[in-house]
Amino acid sequence: MPKIKVNGQEIEVPEKSTVIQAFKQAGVDICHYCWHPGLSIAGVCRLCMVQVEGMPKLQIACNTEVKEGMSVNNTSDVVKETVKWGLDFHLINHPLDCPICDQAGECGLQDQYMQFGSYDPEMAEPKVKKSKAVDLGPTVMLDKERCILCSRCVRFTDEVSKTNELGIFNRGDRSEIGTVQGKPLDNNYSLNTVDICPVGALTSKDFRFRQRVWYLKEADSICPGCSTGCSVKVHYNEEGVWRVKPRVNPEVNGHWMCDVGRNTYKYVNLKSRLLSGKVGKRDLWQEVSVEDAVRSAGLKLRETSPDAIAVVYTGQYTNEEYASAFKFFKEELKVKNVFHWLNNPEKVNEFDGLLFRGDRNPNTKGLENAFASFGAKGSWDNLQAGINGRKFKTVIVFGPEDQSVFPDLDEKIKMFSQAENLIWLTACANKSLDSVGGETWQIPVKTYIEKAGSFTNFQGKVQDFKAGTTIVPQALSVSEAVELMAGREINWNLRPRGVGGPKTNYAVSDRGEL
Amino acid sequence: MASTFSMSAEGLAFIKKELTRYETPYSAIIPSLFRVQAEHGWVPPEAVVLLGKTLNLPEAHINEVLYFYTMFNTKPVGKFHIQVCTNISCAMNGGRELTQALCKHYGVEVGQTSADGKVTINKVECLGSCDTAPMMQVNADSYLENLTPESAIKKLKEMGA
Ligand code: SF4
Ligand code: SF4
Ligand code: FES
Ligand code: FES
Repeated sequence: MPKIKVNGQEIEVPEKSTVIQAFKQAGVDICHYCWHPGLSIAGVCRLCMVQVEGMPKLQIACNTEVKEGMSVNNTSDVVKETVKWGLDFHLINHPLDCPICDQAGECGLQDQYMQFGSYDPEMAEPKVKKSKAVDLGPTVMLDKERCILCSRCVRFTDEVSKTNELGIFNRGDRSEIGTVQGKPLDNNYSLNTVDICPVGALTSKDFRFRQRVWYLKEADSICPGCSTGCSVKVHYNEEGVWRVKPRVNPEVNGHWMCDVGRNTYKYVNLKSRLLSGKVGKRDLWQEVSVEDAVRSAGLKLRETSPDAIAVVYTGQYTNEEYASAFKFFKEELKVKNVFHWLNNPEKVNEFDGLLFRGDRNPNTKGLENAFASFGAKGSWDNLQAGINGRKFKTVIVFGPEDQSVFPDLDEKIKMFSQAENLIWLTACANKSLDSVGGETWQIPVKTYIEKAGSFTNFQGKVQDFKAGTTIVPQALSVSEAVELMAGREINWNLRPRGVGGPKTNYAVSDRGEL
Repeated sequence: MASTFSMSAEGLAFIKKELTRYETPYSAIIPSLFRVQAEHGWVPPEAVVLLGKTLNLPEAHINEVLYFYTMFNTKPVGKFHIQVCTNISCAMNGGRELTQALCKHYGVEVGQTSADGKVTINKVECLGSCDTAPMMQVNADSYLENLTPESAIKKLKEMGA
């Protein structure tokens, strides 16, 4: 492995590394736009200039391979001057509309300018005007003036999504990003272009103008959208969760995530959630505290004979939650009838070749492991027959967190509710549950952002995650619900406080469709 | 107009042959676009779709080339396609004034075609004839050089425009 010097600091880097990778490895800041570790090298922004000892001219770090004994720096006056004026060129036709730009606060141009630019602009010519709100497709908006033509987005659609929608058309200062004949940028990975766009040229239709990024906090999590389990970060504030972005994980998702996964923050927010317990029959139900609901459900379970109980699991909970639930039902209640509710059996094995899988559950593997170690999985026919034949009096369902991926939801609610008692744990409210005929308990549970635990992805990789924020403080994790159903106590004092929910006086809350 | 696009069998054969000449199909884009333009006068979107299929390249990449060069017409042009150079040498020697004079004479704006379909005027980048600035190109092969507005109009008249 070659040893080189980066700004005087000696490091050893892998064979065939580029100088910019060496800078990253050494933790030394270097100005750059077009280079992205997940894409090919373009070498077009000319900002990653470095001085290599013994070479007459400056080199671009992204396209220069390291050599044994090389000594490079980006601190000499000539490098600093070059980068500064390079930035000035990038800003010649840039509109500098940061105050109304959605990228402000996480913009490469702002950041680089503050660190490497800081000059008095010397351009007296008027700027070239271009279109500012181009509808690129269902998820992305383009501002052609802000684009600095780094070509990252084009390389993404060429190399990663392989959908080839984008190109750079015209030339010189008229060059602009676009699609062919106005065809939409429309693929399940299109929002990654927004992530990698270093400026505010590409913005997310879903997120733009809704929050200033510096008001958001960030928490690491795992996407629950499918069995791939991409590493993500969620951005939230005191009103709720606003977006999900990918986090680099070479073993699972690399730098990317899919657009479907980015929607998983929506059902987490207050508007969709079940906020209290609900107990009773059709239209006669009462809202009760979560504790009352879960305790009375526990009472019902404990007074039903074990053979008359059926437990239905979905693959949407954590390994830890399965462990406590399986333990409770098997060891304490001696229930033998456990069932796996798989939402889309025809599609589970589908895969788009990049990340997205047909199994729209984050933890099917974990659930299968729990079945393997705790109890045999019952067949769906037995469940149906047991309910119809009145064998199962009490059915408890660990219902889907993301109800939209359960196309058979209503049909299954109908089927389960033919039992005398139905106990349903759910993160989101569901109208159909309010009007079923038998005795029902609805118990609010936490979503993935609100709890710690682990999911086992399709590869069998166990991925831990921590709690991010709490939206519905009264919602329980399954483990807590099990404790209470067993008649034990949990420590209520340790429970987190929730967010306040959306503020109503925001001008932006009335905006129309974009 | 655009929907009637089709290529001659020889044209298609030419493109396929071009494909075999280079290491990458990207190199065949320019000759193919020239061929389309020679047959059709301009390059309609349908041609880009056809080339995409024939060269097995994304349409976006063909459009990148098509829109980069001023020598490809992305709109129909008149019988006389006047391309006035307004790059540095020509601009300094009156290329822009020449353009204005021609526009006034034919009653069109830059980028437009006259109502009778005879004349289209465009501004283009350096045509490699800086020593005879200002100059312009008419259609694919005539260079008119060392121009004044008057001499330009006179020469165009002689050509029939
Ligand atoms: S839109 Fe953004 S990512 Fe694409 S070329 Fe422009 S600056 Fe780069
Ligand atoms: S591929 Fe699956 S896990 Fe990854 S972001 Fe998409 S839905 Fe989420
Ligand atoms: S990062 Fe090296 S040239 Fe753009
Ligand atoms: S500048 Fe006009 S031909 Fe070169």
